[in-house]
Amino acid sequence: MKDKTLSRRDFMGAAAAIGAFTVVPRHVLGGAGHTPPSEKINIAGVGIGGQGGSDLRQLESQNIVALCDVDWRHAARCFDRYPNAKKYKDFREMLDKEDKNIDGVVVATPDHLHAIISMAAIKRGKHVYCEKPLTHTVREAKLLAEAAREAGVATQMGNQGQASEQTRLLCETIWDGAIGQVREVHIWTDRPLNGINKWYWPQGVDRPQGQDPIPDTLDWDLWIGPAPMRPYVGKRTYNPFVWRGWWDFGTGALGDIGCHSMDAVFRALKLGYPTSVEACCTLVNDETYPVASRVTYEFPARGDLAPVTLHWYDGGMKPPRPAELEDGRMWDTNGKLYIGDKGKIIDYRLIPEPRQREYGKPPQKVERSPGHYNEWVIAFKGGKPAGSNFPDHAGLLAQVVLMGNIALRPALKNKMLSTKLYFDAEQFKFTNLPEANQYLTKEYREGWTL
Amino acid sequence: MNKATRIGKGASQRSARNDSIGTSNHISRRDLVGTLASLAALTIVPRHVLGGAGHTPPSEKLNIAGIGIGGRGQGDLHECNSENIVALCDVDEAYAGKVFDTYPKARKWTDYRKMLDEQRDIDAVIIATPDHTHAVISMAAIKRGKHVYCEKPLAHSIWECRQVAEAAREAGVATQLGNQGQASEENRLVSEFIWDGAIGPVHEVHAWSNRYISPRGIGRPKETPPVPKTLNWDLWLGPAKQRPYHPCYLPFSWRGWWDFGTGVLGDIGCHQLDPVFRALKLGYPTTVEACSSGVNDETAPLSSIVRFQFPARAGMPPLTLSWYDGALMPERPDELEEGRKFGNPDDNLFIGEKGKMLGHRLIPEPKMKAYDRPAKSIPRSPGHHKEWLNACKGGPPARANFDWAGPLTEVVLMGNVALRMEKQLYEKGLKLRMDGPNMRVTNLPEANRYIRDEYRDGWTL
Repeated sequence: MKDKTLSRRDFMGAAAAIGAFTVVPRHVLGGAGHTPPSEKINIAGVGIGGQGGSDLRQLESQNIVALCDVDWRHAARCFDRYPNAKKYKDFREMLDKEDKNIDGVVVATPDHLHAIISMAAIKRGKHVYCEKPLTHTVREAKLLAEAAREAGVATQMGNQGQASEQTRLLCETIWDGAIGQVREVHIWTDRPLNGINKWYWPQGVDRPQGQDPIPDTLDWDLWIGPAPMRPYVGKRTYNPFVWRGWWDFGTGALGDIGCHSMDAVFRALKLGYPTSVEACCTLVNDETYPVASRVTYEFPARGDLAPVTLHWYDGGMKPPRPAELEDGRMWDTNGKLYIGDKGKIIDYRLIPEPRQREYGKPPQKVERSPGHYNEWVIAFKGGKPAGSNFPDHAGLLAQVVLMGNIALRPALKNKMLSTKLYFDAEQFKFTNLPEANQYLTKEYREGWTL
Repeated sequence: MNKATRIGKGASQRSARNDSIGTSNHISRRDLVGTLASLAALTIVPRHVLGGAGHTPPSEKLNIAGIGIGGRGQGDLHECNSENIVALCDVDEAYAGKVFDTYPKARKWTDYRKMLDEQRDIDAVIIATPDHTHAVISMAAIKRGKHVYCEKPLAHSIWECRQVAEAAREAGVATQLGNQGQASEENRLVSEFIWDGAIGPVHEVHAWSNRYISPRGIGRPKETPPVPKTLNWDLWLGPAKQRPYHPCYLPFSWRGWWDFGTGVLGDIGCHQLDPVFRALKLGYPTTVEACSSGVNDETAPLSSIVRFQFPARAGMPPLTLSWYDGALMPERPDELEEGRKFGNPDDNLFIGEKGKMLGHRLIPEPKMKAYDRPAKSIPRSPGHHKEWLNACKGGPPARANFDWAGPLTEVVLMGNVALRMEKQLYEKGLKLRMDGPNMRVTNLPEANRYIRDEYRDGWTL
């Protein structure tokens, strides 16, 4: 121990070592257990070659003390940027060895590893920033949110838009009654594909034959993590980034964008669990998500708020262009349309534009954000919870987003033609199609647990 | 002399087949038409000029030629085999082989132009080639006074649809589009129920098809395999731009390639939208918008949604027609009973002020059962092909004759114009605004290049 003062992080490390895999509530550890605002916190990054590197750059006011990636070639740039940080391949080894040095963990691995890494960190009392979608399955999101609540750690999901002025303006405009009751919302994205010459990642494809030699800079077994083992194939089949399209690793266009774009809808319309989910899509198989889909959620009335139908479109599909949208005004490849009894909003502005100008600004009701990343830092120094913390917001949002993917499962497709999926939040299951419930969760490969 | 020989040849062929028709001295309408057509070359000769109705008497059999017979043409010929199948034409000998064997007496041709020039006994043609050759063949036949049955869509471009329909009207020949569903009972019920006010005024129709027609959303192949000996690639290309042969184009799989086919919308739209157009008396739309899973200059997208906005029509409010393909569909309507399948491969959902219809049935089913059906006001069909055969023999016009089929196909193809302009429409923040009667896109001039195809040298309509 380099310091005579027993700091919180040392204390946590010791406690976690004793408690091993039990969640230790922070209040048990005495005091708020938060780093004082004057002190810098020590952050570890797991999965740093892609978005993780960007996340860390936003947190450079703190100490970046450890970096972990299973692909050291992909991670090289990030390693170079933080030469003093310890390097790891296995997050478990990192959490063991650096336990007393780490306060918070940034998780930006492929989706299928989010829950396992986040949970391991939470169990050691670490604060967690996890990229969206929070998890790979609905049940993981629920468990992670519960664990974070119990442990009292500061959490934040990587849906940065939640901290924006636009999200606040949208909420305030709708709460002000500017478009009356909202019964219908449409959200769309051009992901995963946008024409044949530009694509984000492949979907609607089958598993490639054969295998390639695993690069010695990549630990394929760790990359696979809790997923069923499969042969490594190069040529940007699974990694980096393009894992998003595979059922075993990613969560498709909906998982990628849904937690961003549904965030504002959830806040403005105070949504909870849906009553039903229904979907249609292009050819889909058990390997990858479809090229394009439409997912429709129905939400019940909430207090004075009318029931809402939420339509999701991906793969370039869109709702009808509203008559209120002026000719010559771009109908973007990603967007949100709110249809109220008294008007319409695209993203956060009333249409047509003269209507917005006439309306001006709504009364300010929501506190402005100090910044998405800063929210997390403030939370773990004892401030208020971050806007997209797991227990109060991100857990539910991710669960609902991921339910949409269940409605796209090829094995359910035939039965889904004769019904919608009806969800009972109390029982946490689909009531009318028992075989759908298996997809709320997943089996982990031997040696892996949550 | 040459002409006389040809006439004689045609006539003697026929007499060999059917003694009752007479000898080579008997100059029948079809011989006369042949003569006049060869004199007048590329002018259209109205049938009434030829004296009388110019129709084969009901007692006499028609002489029919099939063009493009390996695929759908085979089925069409089968439907018409009560008549004489006198000629068969296909550029793909291998694909057409089994059909040649079915009609051993028919003369075999590779080039329809040669066939029409040289075989004088043809009254009527059935065209079931790829879409890009529908119009040139239809027009050649119409100009010679032949009756025409053409597979859907009527043509490959809006401009072609207009020309072919006008020429057929002028020539007074009997025509029929290959959208056989129009002859069904269900097609009539849709109109009768909607006109009866069963679901009130209709503002919204959703139509979908998840046919898998051919690979789409892909680029042009780079390999140039040799042309099979049994295929005349140059004729298969016809008026389309020259490109190297590749087996990815044929048979059947041309549908997804813009130069040859018209995508799922073109393939199925003329079938499925027929009852919608009839029941709701649709004409040209005012706007068309399209979104897709990715469009390129080679192939139609894997899936798309196309939305047509129609103005108010006599007694009917404005209407939005949404088309979905590639397995996309509208939302399941609440009226549909739990457990009842939603998702026939092709279907229409009509949304009215007082109710909904799925296909030709009110939903939910008890509502259908309780419905006091209106009288059957629309005459029933003797059969889709039979309608045409009757028309060829002086009967009433077939119901999907080109006066109907032309505008219907034009609107369907407007959807493809919107799809092909998807990127530009997106960038400019527009829907496609259409001046249907003048075949013009009014707010995006560059879209007009898709109204009319450029033909390869040596090809004209």
